[in-house]
Amino acid sequence: MSCAADTHCITCSDEGVPMRVLDVQPDGLARCEAEGAESDVMIDLVGPLAIGDNVLVHAGVALARLA
Amino acid sequence: MKYVDEYRDAELGRVLAGEIVATVEPGREYKIMEVCGGHTHTIYKYGVDDLLPANVELVHGPGCPVCVIPMGRVDDAIAVAHIPGVIFTCFGDMMRVPGGSGTLLDAKARGADVRMVYSPLDALRIARENPDREVVFFAVGFETTAPSTALTLKRAKAEGTRNFSCFSNHVTIVPPLRALLESPDLRLDGFIGPGHVSTVVGARPFEFIPADYGKPVVISGFEPLDLLQSVYMVLRQLVEGRCEVENQYARVVPADGNPAALRVLEEVFELRPHFEWRGLGFISHSGLKLSEAYAELDAELRFEIPGVRVADPKACQCGEVLKGVIKPWECKVFGTACTPERPIGTCMVSSEGACAAYYNYGRFAREREVV
Repeated sequence: MSCAADTHCITCSDEGVPMRVLDVQPDGLARCEAEGAESDVMIDLVGPLAIGDNVLVHAGVALARLA
Repeated sequence: MKYVDEYRDAELGRVLAGEIVATVEPGREYKIMEVCGGHTHTIYKYGVDDLLPANVELVHGPGCPVCVIPMGRVDDAIAVAHIPGVIFTCFGDMMRVPGGSGTLLDAKARGADVRMVYSPLDALRIARENPDREVVFFAVGFETTAPSTALTLKRAKAEGTRNFSCFSNHVTIVPPLRALLESPDLRLDGFIGPGHVSTVVGARPFEFIPADYGKPVVISGFEPLDLLQSVYMVLRQLVEGRCEVENQYARVVPADGNPAALRVLEEVFELRPHFEWRGLGFISHSGLKLSEAYAELDAELRFEIPGVRVADPKACQCGEVLKGVIKPWECKVFGTACTPERPIGTCMVSSEGACAAYYNYGRFAREREVV
């Protein structure tokens, strides 16, 4: 998740990254992982999540649950 | 990786390309605009356009939020960054966007405390860790990014983090599309709609394009097969004389978008009367400012913002590129005075800007062979 020219950048434009939920925390955040990189993601917009769920993440927020 | 690898299958790509060749009518020219910078990036990274017949042209739209930021707003950001005690936070690309007086990276070199973050939540965390400093987040982006800013502002308000504020430059996608469609020098046959904006707003906001302007729209995902299939779907509509909004990205985009995201946007933001877009000028009701309920977190109210309007450099043709009137390599400074290392125009900054995509993938001129 860098802004290098050969990768998509989660911080710009209409881009999102599919991430897997590793842990759901009580404060509306979930620890998520994509290609070895982990980050805390706000999950307010996608309803309850379980470990192993896949979500589409943009700029630190899960915008959609991936079926 | 699941949801990615299956959409990069080369053999399926060739099959789709064959379907496209079989669909187009010889002697007819097709111009299709991909609205979103993420699509532009995918097209050049994977050479999607090389698989298309010569009479199908992809035109790059205004959907890169870095590219549409006017120079004056960058200068305003730099002015805030230089206020003593301020920690100025922004996405990585925004640090390299030139204003009239340099970039945020230059401001950092001159002593301003400018920090790159991956999300607004990171900026809020910095505010919590530095209670004696003012932390400002430079918010840019379309409806895809705005919910992240909105949720962060909700958190800041709920927890009473008073040293955090937001310099909002969020924009909405429909007004510039309408402005483009009204532009007399533009000839387009159809649109590839922005997938992740649609995750938030849904497919319905684009229905005015077929209804009012008679052009097909296909909302698309971001992998190469998504793009090829979307081009195919636009062409099918054109050949069959249909004109509607179709959703190629149904695995992510529901017709009504994400209602929770729309609610939080409604709560935290309100439309500005007008907002300036690089190369496109002022567009009514196209920018978002913080709502009355969140005014206490609005950097534009907390700090003195110069608000100076800066004209784009004469040599730079970002405006024509953003409207799809010229290709990046047709700009006089492309690849010479303007490069990703030393950009003059915003389109050369972001990896999703049309100029950077052309430059990084070696598209210095377009001499395409007929497939």
